[in-house]
Amino acid sequence: MSSRRSHSRHSSASRITEEEINELVSKLQMMLPDAPIRRNSRVSARKVLQETCSYIRSLHQEVDDLSEKLSELLASTDTDSAEAAILRSLLMQ
Amino acid sequence: MASVPSSSSSSPSQPKTRKKPGQNSSPAPPPQTKWRTGTQERLYSRRLVDALRATRDRTQVQESVGSRAVKQAADSALALTARGQSRWSRAILFGRNSCRRKLLVKAGGKIRRHRRKQHGVPPVAAEPGVLKEQKVKERLRKLGRLVPGCRKLPAATLLEEAADYVAALELQVRTMRALADALSAATVSAPEEEETAAVDPMAIAEQGS
Repeated sequence: MSSRRSHSRHSSASRITEEEINELVSKLQMMLPDAPIRRNSRVSARKVLQETCSYIRSLHQEVDDLSEKLSELLASTDTDSAEAAILRSLLMQ
Repeated sequence: MASVPSSSSSSPSQPKTRKKPGQNSSPAPPPQTKWRTGTQERLYSRRLVDALRATRDRTQVQESVGSRAVKQAADSALALTARGQSRWSRAILFGRNSCRRKLLVKAGGKIRRHRRKQHGVPPVAAEPGVLKEQKVKERLRKLGRLVPGCRKLPAATLLEEAADYVAALELQVRTMRALADALSAATVSAPEEEETAAVDPMAIAEQGS
């Protein structure tokens, strides 16, 4: 059992194999909005990470813009129409 | 002597209360599908609405809900919808609730110094070949800064968290946009009734004259 423990400790370092990393990177690549089908050939991990960073940043930016818009809208509408709009959007899902 | 349970190494996260059966054979559904189900959308939109309503009630005195409050409500709702299964969601939730600053100030000096010392030395020696390039490491660090609560993670975990976070952000954007559209449709339709009531007598007056 002690040998098993040392084995697990040793294999935990190499458990993160290169294959797993590549799989994760390609999974990220598929999630990016930039035509993942086109990229049948493997793009370098560096590029994928870079695009992921910029994509996350642009998503953050969109969230900020939308929050601002929502705060303005919430301030301008009265409660009743806001509730109606919210119900409508919920029902449309 | 005691059998060492090695189940922790086999699967990182097993969803316990997931009603949908896994489409793939893997236990945890990939982030793209997980965050795009109708259930998740409804869950998140409902949570978002509740959070917004709560924020609005709280700020009645100040008269206007700040955009930052909206963003925080949206982020908290998103983290809640993740059910705390991912690190970034836990980081968001814990950041809101407790005063994280106190903890950081207490232990921050030591940790920061320690980290700065280790800056030149790569943390993990046994990393696969792809990750040993300097530029890849830089990008990974950038990514770690973008995803909340993921600054010191090993590469594989960071990549997983990033994928989940991206999918969740997409859901957030979609939901907020739908809500904003619905609200703006409401604001357009409401004053229209007043306008038609005001326009009619004017039109009649013009025609009369």
